[in-house]
Amino acid sequence: MTDELEQLYQTTYTAVVRFLYRKVWDAERAEDLAQEVFVRALTHQPEKPRAWVFAVAANLARDEARAAVRRKRHLTLLKADPVAQPTVAPAADTLVEHDERVASVQEALSMLTARDREILLLWDAGLSYPEIAAQTGLAVGAVGTTLARARRRLVEAHDRQNPSKGTHAAHS
Amino acid sequence: MRHIPEDELHAYLDQGLSRSQCVEIESHLAACASCQACRDGIAALRDRTTALLARLAPPRSFPTPFETLRRRADLEVSARRRRAHLVAWAASIVAAVAFGWTASHLTSQGDPARVASGVPAATPAAVSRQAVIKDSRTPTTTPAILRPTGTDSPPARSPKRPARVTLRSASTAETSATLVPTVSAAPELELTSIDIAPTAHEFELDGMWRTMSWAGAQAEAGDKLPHIDGLPIVQVQVQAGEQGRQPLLVVAQQLSSGEVIRTIEGPAQDVSHLLARRTMSDPVPTVSSVDSGRPSPVSPERIDGSMAMQRGDRMIAITGALPPDSLLAMIRRLNAEMRSK
Repeated sequence: MTDELEQLYQTTYTAVVRFLYRKVWDAERAEDLAQEVFVRALTHQPEKPRAWVFAVAANLARDEARAAVRRKRHLTLLKADPVAQPTVAPAADTLVEHDERVASVQEALSMLTARDREILLLWDAGLSYPEIAAQTGLAVGAVGTTLARARRRLVEAHDRQNPSKGTHAAHS
Repeated sequence: MRHIPEDELHAYLDQGLSRSQCVEIESHLAACASCQACRDGIAALRDRTTALLARLAPPRSFPTPFETLRRRADLEVSARRRRAHLVAWAASIVAAVAFGWTASHLTSQGDPARVASGVPAATPAAVSRQAVIKDSRTPTTTPAILRPTGTDSPPARSPKRPARVTLRSASTAETSATLVPTVSAAPELELTSIDIAPTAHEFELDGMWRTMSWAGAQAEAGDKLPHIDGLPIVQVQVQAGEQGRQPLLVVAQQLSSGEVIRTIEGPAQDVSHLLARRTMSDPVPTVSSVDSGRPSPVSPERIDGSMAMQRGDRMIAITGALPPDSLLAMIRRLNAEMRSK
């Protein structure tokens, strides 16, 4: 079982960090939580570790969000992202453009319903339809419907926020 | 001809369909240009979503070695076990202290009340003490009941409770009568607060006692002598048990304040009997410094003065005011010893 967990760690750690990062918007915190998830997996030895890992990650992220609200700390992507403090600073306009691109997707993602966002992130983390269904309580057949809606809404919300940007990008 | 619904095409591209469903969709797509266009549009939407989400990736990092996590997990498991053990102990201490305080409260109401109501103090106190000692000799009895009270209480304790005394003076006789069953009904207590009379920090050890060096006692009783880690040993006294019985050990240790703590270990009946005695003389002269110009070490509100723990027929009692960290260390060690036996 431990070997299985080790293999899972090697193949899934990055996806778990990414999944958590998209919820807590703090790269270091996401890594801390991801490690906590795998430590818990080692102590609990779950039967279906892959699905279990993402379920626990989602719970930890939820707890983290509640704690953040309690502390009234509003972490923002731009301030928390270590990319914003590189060793060698890129040109200011490049940095601003990168940050804006990231922020626009973050904003679009935040406009989805919690259910749609969760399923979209789980799918993007690599979970299968049955795994997503098991974790969220949806019927397997409803996962495709939800994903179809979530994808459409994400793209629409993003394009709605950045019409001039999109046009400018298309022309440039 | 029925076209393929959009959500099914999403599921098809996400490989979320069964093999038979895929075959069905593929055969339709081969013949339906409209559904092919729809599929291409959905594929583009999928790619676009993936590309957008890819912007929300944290900076690439190097995962902590799995071995580090494994060690952390091992530590957490052992820490959890220790916590569970401590919680159990803490629960028993809280229960015991509350219980001991209640018992102390009940029994100590007697003396001044009797004085207030004009009843001779000796009679009910003697009844109470006899009942208590009788019960204390039963191996399953918790040591909270071993309190020698009544006339044994020092005068210093009385003035602090005049209001309670006056109010409850009428129930004095009932208190003595109901004490024993109340106390006996708590067999689950393991570590119990007991209230030794203030003069009881001076012990008279009747019977055949041998005063030994620490090393000598260790040689005779093994390395598990009752003691509190980190305090200097003042004296070790041993009373050999009857045939087949464990010896009774009293280890005196001195706190930095000068006060002497005694840890007593042995057959429950013998420890109980020893605790129940009051007119004991202290063989350790340094104790006298405790009394010089300081308030009595045992006040009526102080219920942490003495603790006892019983497992089976073996009892360990600590007399004197023990600092919390020393008590915790003692509890940990006792637990470890109990487990190893």
